[in-house]
Amino acid sequence: MKNEILRFENVTLTYHTKRGETTATDALTFSVREGEFVAVIGPSGCGKTTVLSLAAGLLTPSSGEVTRRGSCGYMLQKDELFPWRTIEKNIFLPLEIKRQNTAERRERAIGLAKKYGLGDFLLSYPPQLSGGMRQRAALIRTLATEPDILLLDEPFSALDYQTRLNVCEDVSSIIRSEEKTAILITHDISEAVSLADRIIVLTKRPARVAFEHELDFGDENRPIKRREKPQFSAWFEILWKELNT
Amino acid sequence: MKKQFSEEHRRYLAKKKRKLAVVWACRIGILVLLLGLWEMVTALGWVDPFLTSSPSRIGKTIASLYLDGSLFYHIGVTLLETLIGFVIAVALGCIIALLLWWSETLKKVLEPYIVVLNALPKIALGPLIIIWFGTGSEAIVFMTVLVGIIVATLHMLNAFMATDDNKILLLRSMGASKFQILSKLVIPSSLPSFISMLKVNVGMAWIGSIMGEYIVSRAGLGYLIVYGGQVFKLDLVMSATCILCILAAGMYFLVVLLEKLIVKDAKN
Repeated sequence: MKNEILRFENVTLTYHTKRGETTATDALTFSVREGEFVAVIGPSGCGKTTVLSLAAGLLTPSSGEVTRRGSCGYMLQKDELFPWRTIEKNIFLPLEIKRQNTAERRERAIGLAKKYGLGDFLLSYPPQLSGGMRQRAALIRTLATEPDILLLDEPFSALDYQTRLNVCEDVSSIIRSEEKTAILITHDISEAVSLADRIIVLTKRPARVAFEHELDFGDENRPIKRREKPQFSAWFEILWKELNT
Repeated sequence: MKKQFSEEHRRYLAKKKRKLAVVWACRIGILVLLLGLWEMVTALGWVDPFLTSSPSRIGKTIASLYLDGSLFYHIGVTLLETLIGFVIAVALGCIIALLLWWSETLKKVLEPYIVVLNALPKIALGPLIIIWFGTGSEAIVFMTVLVGIIVATLHMLNAFMATDDNKILLLRSMGASKFQILSKLVIPSSLPSFISMLKVNVGMAWIGSIMGEYIVSRAGLGYLIVYGGQVFKLDLVMSATCILCILAAGMYFLVVLLEKLIVKDAKN
């Protein structure tokens, strides 16, 4: 068994506002192993995004502990590409922020962009690209600093259905071939089943781990192929029931 | 390389061109018509040109100002006061807005003061300005800055505060410092607002300088207007006003030009 790369140990987080306080996660405990693709699903408003913010270190837990080995890259619902920068400059953004803007890193990032079909668009501006290509550019930007863990916050939900299936396919193959650890937050059961090695189901707020499943698709990692397998609908049904209890 | 367009597209382009020509013809037509009417009613003696002046009398007045050498002197005085006031107001406004964006506490503390200063009619400070700055150009520049600075500050602060939260989250997840968020995101995304603030402040600067010249001055276009009014030389009042129109429009178009230079990148 591979090493643990991320661990939540009894993590409780309380938000404070003028009107009062809300407990977003309650003694949340789970872990992610190196190279694993974990999907976290839960009822809407259960604090899924909070889990990612905690993993990224953007929030500090009220109690409990989050331990992470290595760096992480965050990918959001919308691509959030800066419209005044070219695609290339957008991909270099995290390198500039982390002061790793070396020729070698830049070349590697451009190599990734070319490998995954953005080579002709490096000097274009984001509004000139389709939604799917923009999301792919956002993923390359996330990968530019070679993070150890990818945190994906519903990265497909802003796309139309056709594009969503395609981008899902792209993102999956990129993450698998780069052998990255990934955590996907989603409310879409079929997306979770088609992408992940393991699924964590959260309860309603305050979020706790309700169920955990190791998926049994073997070596089949392509989302479209998985959707054709008999296990797919079986898993869908199980998760659907668990989410609605 | 010349592109080959279809017949339909050529007709579409021709139609667009025709429409633009019509708009321009109407614009110029209205101006000619107004000036012509104005000239006619005074020439025919229907109204007294002593009260309304007339285009030909305005032309003569400007010519005589030019001949005695004072035309460009007055224009120069006002233009310089306006430009200096404009630049100081914009620069200080941006700096203050940056400080207020940086510190939430500072913003909260200063909010009521800014609201009051914004609502206060700056001309009420006229007597104070004369006493503090004397009757020279400094007083007028100060008035210009006063009129423009609050508008510049509020406009830019709004722009800074409107920065997309998700983009800030993205930068924070990359480990960006506050200064990096400012330089990589907040300032570049506020560029269009900066241009629109400049456009608003061109108008503010002219209000400030002419108002200043109304209160204290011995030269400038505002001085000519006030002086002309006092001695009932309406030709002079109208002439100075016309020159003001042209200068203000010119400055506005310079900002539009700047906009095209700066913003062209993003729209390419």
